[in-house]
Amino acid sequence: MATLNLQNITKSFGAAHVLHGIDLAIKDKEFIVFVGPSGCGKSTLLRIIAGLEAATAGQILIDGVDVSDAAPVDRGISMVFQSYALYPHLSIYENIAFPLRVQSLPETEVKAKVGKAAEILKLTDKLALKPGQLSGGQRQRVAIGRSIVRSPKIFLFDEPLSNLDAALRGDMRVELSQLHRELSATMVYVTHDQIEAMTMAHRIVVLNKGRIEQFGTPMELYHHPATKFVATFIGQPNMNLVQASVLGTTNGLTVEFSGGQRMTLPVDCTTATVGSLVDVGIRPENLMLGDGLSMTVRVVERLGGVAMTYGDMPDGTRICAALPGDTPVAEGAVVGLGLNVADAHVFDASGAVMRRLNAPTLVV
Amino acid sequence: MLIDRYSWPQKLALYAAMAVFLTFILLPFLEMFRTSLSPMSHLFHAPYEIWSDKFSFDAYFAMWKKVPLLGRYIWNSIFIASAVTALTMIFVIPAAYAYARLDFPLKNLSLGVFLSVNMFTGAVLLIPLYRVMNTLGLLNTYWSMIVPGVAFLIPTGIWLLRSYLEKIPRELEEAAFMDGASRLYTLRRVVLPLAVPGIMVVGVSVFIGAYAQQYLFAITFNQVAELQPLPAGLNQFIGYQTVEWNQMMAAALTGVLPVMIVFLFLQKYLVAGLTAGAIKE
Ligand SMILES: Nc1ncnc2c1ncn2[C@@H]1O[C@H](COP(=O)(O)OP(=O)(O)O)[C@@H](O)[C@H]1O
Ligand SMILES: [Mg+2]
Repeated sequence: MATLNLQNITKSFGAAHVLHGIDLAIKDKEFIVFVGPSGCGKSTLLRIIAGLEAATAGQILIDGVDVSDAAPVDRGISMVFQSYALYPHLSIYENIAFPLRVQSLPETEVKAKVGKAAEILKLTDKLALKPGQLSGGQRQRVAIGRSIVRSPKIFLFDEPLSNLDAALRGDMRVELSQLHRELSATMVYVTHDQIEAMTMAHRIVVLNKGRIEQFGTPMELYHHPATKFVATFIGQPNMNLVQASVLGTTNGLTVEFSGGQRMTLPVDCTTATVGSLVDVGIRPENLMLGDGLSMTVRVVERLGGVAMTYGDMPDGTRICAALPGDTPVAEGAVVGLGLNVADAHVFDASGAVMRRLNAPTLVV
Repeated sequence: MLIDRYSWPQKLALYAAMAVFLTFILLPFLEMFRTSLSPMSHLFHAPYEIWSDKFSFDAYFAMWKKVPLLGRYIWNSIFIASAVTALTMIFVIPAAYAYARLDFPLKNLSLGVFLSVNMFTGAVLLIPLYRVMNTLGLLNTYWSMIVPGVAFLIPTGIWLLRSYLEKIPRELEEAAFMDGASRLYTLRRVVLPLAVPGIMVVGVSVFIGAYAQQYLFAITFNQVAELQPLPAGLNQFIGYQTVEWNQMMAAALTGVLPVMIVFLFLQKYLVAGLTAGAIKE
């Protein structure tokens, strides 16, 4: 059992305000991913949860108990660092055993626990080696091994895969998800990679400039991004944003694009005013050849199943469409792009979303 | 690596520069050695002869009779320098760690003050030091040569080791802290083992410093012949009529020989320590 509650956490380094009032309720056994661009405060927030950094204000509650002033080990938290932080002079066995040595456990117990961790992480035949003799992925596993021997209630990971190559990252994502199921512990995982966030998280916290932009399941974030920032951050390739002006707000939002095309989008437009400018967000995978926006094709990337088609609208706005792989589009051609109006997202001038009314009902 | 390749004119220049440098450093040693082999009658012989068949190791045997306590002096030298080094390191290691990792008031100022003490050579402070030694009753003991040696070597030792400790990744200590390790446990199990090359470098430089300082403190604070280190003991080769230069040089070389042999064995660590941190793994 481990729930984690953050209440109004703020953090400043001198005059630099890094976190502004973070509130978060994480449930038992959840896999939570903090995602956001570099420098948004993810590591700082994680280090505050860990107890390596003190919050300037706010409380941290684990299972309802305020642990804001407790040492990391008393919080029942362990952490895997981005650099792995393995002790280069100690063997893999001693690296994994380190937390147990600190508690001065008897050797038989140490041996049993290290052996079990090594088995879970497939390191049994590496125990006598030094960290320098292992590959990146194996070092990563040692770091995880050291974090699990103590059987903590909550695991923290700070960009654990960022030092691995792409193929290994894919494998480790699967292994980590599996590990989470095996240990059935609460995990908080930091990454700047939205694919890691989408694939591993039960729920994602999108951070931007020290604030939570949105907290929700991957598909919630995908279908109902709360802000323009989340919309462009989640989803690969990025969502297209096309400016349009508001013509009417009855029975949906009627907008006119700079090329003169008009559409009525089924969104909650109670806050919209006629004549104001909005950003219409359209995911590349929701565009198809047809009537609607016009695009001069610049580059076509044929990936097999899809043809990523990049081009410009007449007013210069860049746009990308993920078309079926065999679509006969040529570079330099002018094509029309249609969309199902229910798929369009609309953001007001402040970047806030006007909620979509006919979005798919979520199955996950 | 490709970047290490030098063209042959560059190599030539490098070797030439190294040759000049080594000549300056090694020539005095060669001259010492030559002098130690010459008979006294040959020493002031003109013209200068690099080699002569009158050369012999006689001085290396005669010196023990001329100065019966010579063995004792050599031992004293090594003992005092080792004691200074050991004591200095006991103070330097925790202090350097504190300066590298902890935050405390007046951190930079205090280190600056320590270092500025080093600006004064021991010579300037001899008279006040003499009074301190006298008050503490340390005159004419080993302590009178050890204590000031330690005091003068601590600041640079802290300075050197601190910059080495700063290169040990902070995350290693944070990981230990996460696992419940105390500062001292982390220092013992993580930081010190990783700092061995740096500690070696600082230890050796402290030892050399201690060896070099001995003379001044010995002739000022100690009158007991049995406690004198070698540099002070060498004075005894200066007689009323003549100076036994050949024996003096022989004694000096014999005195530094054990130290040099130890350094040869430590070389591996020294090179590792001096270049550590230059490359990030
Ligand atoms: N110890 C520190 N002192 C001063 N500023 C810091 C410190 N740690 C982090 N910061 C600043 O806080 C901001 C957030 O950093 P961080 O949490 O590491 O971001 P992220 O992990 O999301 O990339 C950055 O602007 C960084 O410069
Ligand atoms: Mg970070």
